[in-house]
This record gives sequence, C-alpha cells and structure tokens, in this order.
Amino acid sequence: MSCTPFALAGRAATVTRTVPVILGLGVAALITIVLCTLTGPAGFGIPSVGPGGADIVGGIRLPRVLAAFFVGGCLAVAGAAMQALFRNPMADPYILGTSSGGALGAALAIVFLGGLYVPAFAWLGAFIAMLIVWSIAGQKGAISVETLLLTGIAVSFFFSAVVSFLVAIAGQSVHQIIFWMMGGFWNASPGDALLAAVILVLAGAALFAVARDLNALSLGEETAVHLGIDTARVRWTVLGSSTLLVAGAVSIAGSVGFVGLVTPHIVRMLLGPDNRVVIPACVLAGGILLVVSDTLARAFFSDISVGIITAFIGAPFFVWLIYRRGQTA
Amino acid sequence: MTARDRIRDENLHAGYGEQEILRAITCSFVPGTFTGIIGPNGSGKTTLLRAFSRVVPSAGVLTLEGRDVRNYTPSELGMALGFVPQDEERPFSFTVMQVVLMSRYVRASRFASLSPGDYARCREALEETGTAHLADRSIRTLSGGEWQRVLIARALAQDTPVLLLDEPTSHLDLAHQAEVLSLLRRLAGAGRTVIGVFHDLNLAALYCDRLIMVCDGRIVTDGTPAQVLTAQRIRQVYGADVVTSCHPATGRVFLLPVHAAARPPGAARLNVTVVSGGGSGASLFHFLAGRSFVLSAGVLATTDTDYLAATALEIPCIPIPPFSQIPAAALEDLRGVLAGADRVVLSAHPVGPGNLPMLLALGGVDPSRLVVHLPGGRDFGSYDFVGGNAAAAYRGLVDAGARCTVTYGGVLAFLDGHAAGHGGRGP
Repeated sequence: MSCTPFALAGRAATVTRTVPVILGLGVAALITIVLCTLTGPAGFGIPSVGPGGADIVGGIRLPRVLAAFFVGGCLAVAGAAMQALFRNPMADPYILGTSSGGALGAALAIVFLGGLYVPAFAWLGAFIAMLIVWSIAGQKGAISVETLLLTGIAVSFFFSAVVSFLVAIAGQSVHQIIFWMMGGFWNASPGDALLAAVILVLAGAALFAVARDLNALSLGEETAVHLGIDTARVRWTVLGSSTLLVAGAVSIAGSVGFVGLVTPHIVRMLLGPDNRVVIPACVLAGGILLVVSDTLARAFFSDISVGIITAFIGAPFFVWLIYRRGQTA
Repeated sequence: MTARDRIRDENLHAGYGEQEILRAITCSFVPGTFTGIIGPNGSGKTTLLRAFSRVVPSAGVLTLEGRDVRNYTPSELGMALGFVPQDEERPFSFTVMQVVLMSRYVRASRFASLSPGDYARCREALEETGTAHLADRSIRTLSGGEWQRVLIARALAQDTPVLLLDEPTSHLDLAHQAEVLSLLRRLAGAGRTVIGVFHDLNLAALYCDRLIMVCDGRIVTDGTPAQVLTAQRIRQVYGADVVTSCHPATGRVFLLPVHAAARPPGAARLNVTVVSGGGSGASLFHFLAGRSFVLSAGVLATTDTDYLAATALEIPCIPIPPFSQIPAAALEDLRGVLAGADRVVLSAHPVGPGNLPMLLALGGVDPSRLVVHLPGGRDFGSYDFVGGNAAAAYRGLVDAGARCTVTYGGVLAFLDGHAAGHGGRGP
C-alpha cells in the first residue's frame, strides 16, 4: 500500500462521516424547533382558542423553545470543552458546582432583594462558584482532575446547604427559589433567547478556535506542551468561555443538570472525540435535547421543571457511564 | 562546549516545588548522537529530560540551538523538540491516525485542514514503528506496547531536530525493542539528537553512542558505554554486583548481575581452591563468590568459560594458553596454591591428556581437605578421555577418603566444616 491513497482515504473517511451527521443534526434541530413550537398542552398545531392562538405560538412558545435551544447548546458546548480540558468524561457544569452557585445567587436575590436582579445574581453566583472551584483545585499550577471533581462536589454541597437554609427562612418566595434550583423556561422571553444566542456564538467561537489544541490537551497537559501548544492560553479560553456559557445558561433557566454531561458523550459516540467536530455538533445536539425535554415537561407533565426531565434521563446515563468505565478499566 | 552543541546546559538545577531533584547538571549534546541517560530509580533521569522540554522549571543555563529554552514560544518548542513519554492517558477514543496527526498541528494553521503531505508523513512514521496496520484503531483498544510505538511514531512525525524519549522500550517485547532502538540509531545517524532514558543497561550499551550516568541529581560519569559501565561503578551507584563482559556479537560492553550473599564481616576466612575445567566451575565460582571464603582457581586455559568467570569475579587462577599441555611452571604454581589451601574443591570435569597432570597433582592433597563435586552423580568414566587413567585418578581420590557430593549444598556443608565423619562413597 503506498502512502498517498491511504492518506487521502483517511482524510476522506473523516469528512464523509462528519459532514452528513452535522448536516443531519442541523436539519433535525430545525424540525425539532418547528415541531416543539407547534406542540402544547392543547395538542399539536396552532391553538384555535380565539384570536390569541397565533400570539401564544409566536409570543410565548417560540421564545421559550429558542431559549431552551440556545441554553441547551451553551451547556453542551461548555460540558464538551470541560471534559476535554480536564481529561475526564465525567466533568460537567452541574457536577463542578457552577449550577449550585447560580441557584445560590438567585436565592439570595429572591430572599434579600425581594426578587430584584435575580438573573444577574444567578450569573454572579455561578461565576463565583467556578472561580472558587478552580482556584482551590488549581492551586499547584496544573489542575488535578480528581481534586477538581472533589472540590466541585464539596462546593456544590455547601451551596446547596445554604440554599436549603434560605428555603427554610424564605416564607412565600419558596417557589421562586425552587425554580432556580430545578431549572425551567416558564418565564423565557425573547430577550433571554437572544442573550443565550449571543453568548453561545461568542463563547462557542472562542472554543472552536482552540478545538484542535483541546484534542492534544485531552491526552495530557505535558503532551500538549510537547506538541507545541500554548496550554495556558487554551486553559484560560476554556475556563473563561465555559464560565460565560454556564453562568449565562443558569441566569436564564436556573440549574438544569446533565445536558452538559450527556450531550458530549452522545456526540462523541456518533462522531468520535475530535473537538473540531464535537463542539459544533454539541451546539445542535444540546439544543435538541433541551428543547425536547422542555416540550415533554410542558406538554405532557403539566409543565413541571425541565431539570426533573433531564435528571430522569441524565442520572441513569451517568450511572451507566460509571459502570462501563469500571468494566473497561 | 562547541558551537555545534544542540542542547547545552550548565549548572542546571530543577525540581518539583521545594524538592530539588537535579543539582548542578552540566552536559551538552551535539547533532547526530544517540545518548542514553541511566541511573538508579529516583536519580533524576526523567526530570532531566523534562527539564530539557521545559515541563519542569529549571534554573541555570539551558540552551537549545544556542538560545535559552525558556525564551522559546510554545510552538517554536514544538518544532524543535519531540518527546516520547513512558505512557500517556487515553481518556477518549481517538484513532491512532488522529493522535499521530496531532504532531502536525504545530506546523499547520489553526483553521486550515492538514495537507496530504502531513498525512503522508504520519503514515510513514506509523510504518517506521510497525504500527501502520493500527491506523484506524481506537487508541483505547491498543496494548501497552502498541501504544508506546504509536507515541514514538507521533514524535517522529513531529520532525524535530531533538528527540527525547523516556524509557521508550519499557513496554516492548524483545523484537520490538531491537526494532525501535535500531530506528533511533538510524535517526541519530541522519543528524538528529536523540536522548533516551533507559533502565536496561545492556540495551543502552548496545545502541547508544554515549551514556550519562546520573545519581542523586548529579552526573556520575559521561562517556562511551565501555567507559561508563564498569563493575566498580555499578556497585557504587546501583549497589549491585555485576560482572562486565563482551557482547559476543557486537563486542560492546555487557553486564551480568551476580548473586551476592551477605558477607559476614570479620569472620575467619577460609582459603578455598576450586579445581575445574571446561566450564564445570563457573557456576560454582558464582555460588561461592560473596561468601566468606578467599577463593582461588586452578590451572585454566584462557578460552575456558571458567577462566572468564574467574576473571570477572576477580578470583585468581593460573592461566595457560589454550590447546596446550600444562607447562611445568604452571603445575609448580598449582602445587603451591593447593598447599596453601585450607580446603580444595574438585569440580568434576572432562580430562584429556592435556589436563591430566592437574588431576594427578591433587593426589598430593590431604584427602580430608578435599571434596569432589560430581553433578548428577555421573560415573567418573564419563569424564575420562584418556582411556581409564582419569577415571582411576578420580576414584583413587575418593578411595583415599575425599568426600564426594552431588550438590552445591554438600560442597558448602563441607567447606563450613559441617561434614560429619569421613567422605561418602563414590560411584
């Protein structure tokens, strides 16, 4: 076998698989958005309850579906980048304490500010939680994955305890706090959808620019250095972008778990671990996953929190991952 | 220190946090050499390699192509220096080809896809390491040895003038060890600077042009394998007893470990002479060396395995040219040695006209001081190549009261004076 045919074949094989799958995901995303916008508790199609039917679809459902789509994309892309950076397929914004930080920020605003600036506080809480986790775990220069996960879990527990305390003293605003803890899109506005879209485009583009370097980094910090990669730059890009993505998502939808964990896994199973493919595919797949989950919650479970649906899907999936790792190890 | 130095370091210190691993290392590397870094566990070999590639911070002079390594940008370093780690995590199932292609990232633009030339180079590197058939396999399914060869392929495809390898053969079988090391030799021959950390001293001696022995963060010696690998230095640095020999096929220095029993200090030491021939005594020498005896050997031809063993273990003997009658002077020396011995061990060996006089000389030894080691309890006749005279001489010694034993333990018991009564029966 000579070199050239193999080289071209190797290249073609990657392209032939990737392009149709990404295109397929794009088409699926469009179809999902349309179908889910048309689905509601009143059944499928544009509701014919008087002249307000079209307004319900355009003014309420479409922003909600779009917000869910972009928030799903944000969480999935952040999860994919974190998993590559920390070389651990278990890394996820929810597990690393970011989401509970967001819930705490929101709960504080609800209890002490009477519900003012809740999204801003949620964002701040998520941001601070990430800073705490990373500064503790990254103390000795290189970030150890185990320390990171353990720190994330500890911070997460601590913040949840504070939130539970606030719930106990909250009185009437309990429902609002529960919303931030469980996550949902009940109040999603066109502005929310736009905010999520802007964050996703900016941070997603930053991550896509370092996607190739993340491939090398996912084999080890030193490996990446030896392959000529500016690891400090990649690390800060990933930490900054994923904080922006997760904090933005939490400020819009509360803490929705498992989308950031499950989506990158499914994408890697379909397309392999090359982050130049995984990152764009996660935008679409994460969006689809969260839109479908939210529509299920809205149309079939009397609008319960979407976090419940994603946890129903995500937690068993997480257990299955741990089981499978145990077997292959 | 010439202008040709590719890597040069002077007074280099490095370590992890508070702990200093390297203390004042000074050495330099020219293009076209294959250097092995050797030393005991924890001596700082790997740290030295990692200091070169900048992943361990260091203090002191460290230049690469005349420029301070610390001033290189990450991508400049990636084009100057390839590194093969001992092992690498495999958390995601990239294909082998994807991993090897990572070596070309540093040369290609961030958003452009890799060129057919990059693919061809990677394919070539896979072929050179015998892993081309694995190109489309997931790295998580590879064995340790396959993975190690893929990591070597990746460093090759990086096309750097310097190649650093941390125990590149630790997971490889015999054939692949030879294949990889020959490849590294060829690369050095083509002008690359190849530096590897090795635990297997014999492999290092066989393939490296130069060895640097490191101990406790300092360079102990630096030179050709024959200069560096001496029994004395191995004992001093590794605390292990070895004998040095010559590789039969390449003529390079070769080490063999020696079993060393504890030496009771100050004990009265017995003079023991082992009379042997035709390789019969070599393993007995090793068995007795390191115990509390002052050993000597009999008359030995310089081509005899026993001669090599005695020389290696620094046991004095009476050397004679091969294929000759024992000279009268040598026989006279032998009688002197036997007279001075507290105990004499006769290791049964084939006797022809040439060495019959040595056997006959044992007739003059007090039989109560003599033990005959007869492995497997064979008949004396099987050692006789002079038509019965040798067998008769052997039998005569036993009949006169010499003890006869078939095991090393029996020899040792005799030498330690535990032998009860007089000699056992010969066959």
